[in-house]
Amino acid sequence: MEEDEFFGEKTFQHYCAEFIKHSQKIGDGWEWRASKDCSDGYMCKTHFQVKNGTAVSHQGTSDHVQTFLPVEEALDAPLDDFEVTETTAAAEVIKYEYHVLYSCSYQVPVLYFRASFLDGRPLALKDIWEGVHECYKTRLLQGPWDTITQQEHPILGHPFFVLHPCKTSEFMTPVLKNSQKINRNVNYITSWLSIVGPAVGLNLPLSYATAASHDEGNVSGQDSSTERKSLEEH
Amino acid sequence: MTDDKDVLRDVWFGRIPTCFTLYQDEITEREAEPYYLLLPRVSYLTLVTDKVKKHFQKVMRQEDISEIWFEYEGTPLKWHYPIGLLFDLLASSSALPWNITVHFKSFPEKDLLHCPSKDVIEAHFMSCVKEADALKHKSQVINEMQKKDHKQLWMGLQNDRFDQFWAINRKLMEYPAEENGFRYIPFRIYQTTTERPFIQKLFRPVSTDGQLHTLGDLLKEVCPSAVAPEEMWFTWVMPKSDVLMIYLSYC
Repeated sequence: MEEDEFFGEKTFQHYCAEFIKHSQKIGDGWEWRASKDCSDGYMCKTHFQVKNGTAVSHQGTSDHVQTFLPVEEALDAPLDDFEVTETTAAAEVIKYEYHVLYSCSYQVPVLYFRASFLDGRPLALKDIWEGVHECYKTRLLQGPWDTITQQEHPILGHPFFVLHPCKTSEFMTPVLKNSQKINRNVNYITSWLSIVGPAVGLNLPLSYATAASHDEGNVSGQDSSTERKSLEEH
Repeated sequence: MTDDKDVLRDVWFGRIPTCFTLYQDEITEREAEPYYLLLPRVSYLTLVTDKVKKHFQKVMRQEDISEIWFEYEGTPLKWHYPIGLLFDLLASSSALPWNITVHFKSFPEKDLLHCPSKDVIEAHFMSCVKEADALKHKSQVINEMQKKDHKQLWMGLQNDRFDQFWAINRKLMEYPAEENGFRYIPFRIYQTTTERPFIQKLFRPVSTDGQLHTLGDLLKEVCPSAVAPEEMWFTWVMPKSDVLMIYLSYC
């Protein structure tokens, strides 16, 4: 379709391709998936996270043992600390999938995600909210239905959680304006993902910022204060 | 748009006679009779089936009841699709009434969105209306409305109040006199033959040389692999491009 807007689908795909190039360099796991009819596609990444971040400890103190340990395993588990920790680890590992799609209605990228335990049980929305960092909670609690909602993935058709795109251009405009002012090149996807990702457990290594400036052959001092500032303002 | 009022009313008041039967493996204390209901095409399953839920829960114990969900011939029904769309996609070639099976257990997490309250339906509906306006007016009309107008739109749908709904919706259907239509036409094409849930692309109501686009133009552009437009069957067939916009813009 036509691209009379600043951020059309082709632009989106270009920035994703640049982003993925860097991801491949540092082994960050992002890849491009084309839709079956190849008319479009999305960027995706899967990562595993341990709930509470402590289950792989070898200390095996009772603090780390979760109450949802399966009954049979609880009865059979020997008193050996290491084995208790192993079983705990399986119960607490969560698989996160992140998909970055393009919204032609809002002409911005949109973050879709879902989480499940290793046995396939999906995490509910309230569990996802519990995993949201403190600094985002106030805003999300004010209007939860406006920000993270469960929706149908427009290409795969399955339920995913989505960060609503209608405010995206609002917070991205200052980032882009500022980068123009200081004459620094910005990968829209990198900047956008570094702002919205942390709200749902997705963090970007800082080297993405370096890569973005180098893309157009522009060498500049590295600081992500531009992105952080916009984050605080919004 | 006033001469299209009849069409608008026909679309709004469309109904599908439906028979709800409890899934045979649900645990009941006594036999559950089927429940008959006329479903509004323009509404959503979870919004209009409170009576269905109450009817079946009367013969069940609380502990055997969790989130309700509906299924037709083995396919879980997506409550977030308009009822008319579900019927046309899955059951239009079968005899009436539409036979839907009701479940209270084993919610299919991989197929269906959860619907824990009416607020979720409202949020989904409003999200569709907003997205449509983003395409039609760059969100200007919807954003200029007050919260009470948004609420009136939703209440009109929830309470089946045509006039209440259209008092607000008509503003979303207007465009400046100097323009020939909306910026882009909000549409989605659903097919059972594809994995992709729907086709949605940017499409202008007028071509670059000023010709008004028709439904046939739209299909040729976004769905060329489909059967020839003349042979396709639509629920509400409208050859005129301005009437086209009204139907398609309803979201």
